[in-house]
Amino acid sequence: MVKIAVYPPNSLILADLLERKGHTPLVLQKQIRQKIKDPEIDSPPMNITEDDPIQGLKYAAIEVPSGVRGRMAIIGPLIDEAEAAIVVDGAPYGFGCIGCARTNELSIFLLRNKGIPVLELNYPTNQDETYVMVNQINDFVDSLEETDKEEE
Amino acid sequence: MSQNLTMSPDLGTEDWDPDVITRMIFIGPGAHVSEQEIVTEFHMLGLPLTIKNTCYGSMISGKSEDVYKAIEEIRKLDPNHIFTKERGFAPGDPRRCRGHRFGPREGFHQMEKEYRILGFVANALEERKDVEIEEKKPVSVDEFKKVMNECLDKKE
Repeated sequence: MVKIAVYPPNSLILADLLERKGHTPLVLQKQIRQKIKDPEIDSPPMNITEDDPIQGLKYAAIEVPSGVRGRMAIIGPLIDEAEAAIVVDGAPYGFGCIGCARTNELSIFLLRNKGIPVLELNYPTNQDETYVMVNQINDFVDSLEETDKEEE
Repeated sequence: MSQNLTMSPDLGTEDWDPDVITRMIFIGPGAHVSEQEIVTEFHMLGLPLTIKNTCYGSMISGKSEDVYKAIEEIRKLDPNHIFTKERGFAPGDPRRCRGHRFGPREGFHQMEKEYRILGFVANALEERKDVEIEEKKPVSVDEFKKVMNECLDKKE
């Protein structure tokens, strides 16, 4: 079982395809749930605590806007945990959950620079492209399984 | 828009339990089961779950062990058309539920976008088909010149 980061981190299709193969998708909802179940936060996730931008310093410099650092406090731990990643590029406007282009760029940059296997896909717009996307994801996941077995 | 500001909800013990998770179950286009069938099946499993019938499928909440067991069982109904996804908030949570606030629920737009290609994904899962896509390329300068000269010659 491999922990795979997906981008956008709330994607239904990516998370489901990985779960079908028995892997763990690292999705944002798990992080959000942790926040919600924190009794110290009254109205999450609208109010970011003062600790969040500080935690975000691990991923972005102090000059970076606090909004990016606050977001990175939630997404960063997912990137740290990732053993592989799938990134969907060229998605239509409004696709994804981050709501901040700079955070998107930083997260994808961190995933690429982590030295883990990364599969980059284009957002499909028709049936043929979807076939290609699903096949690529399945092949990528199978290749991860093989390398996992070889390491064992 | 003050109604859209989140409130401090009165949460029960289950809502604070870190082991309680919520999953959304989506029925893709062309599925052989209906939302109601899925909800009935969840009830028939007899597991301690909170089940909510929704327009896209259903939502279940409970201890992670029970939830994953229920999902495994429900997928057997139509493995290629039933999709599931994690959800951060519990069903009916006033901070997200449309019944307590205005406008579409956060996450709805992402769901709407992904639902458009969900049918294609289900087809791809049913049967693997290797397809080659031709990438669209811009017209080369030489070809463009040729066409342009042809047009100019015709004019003369």
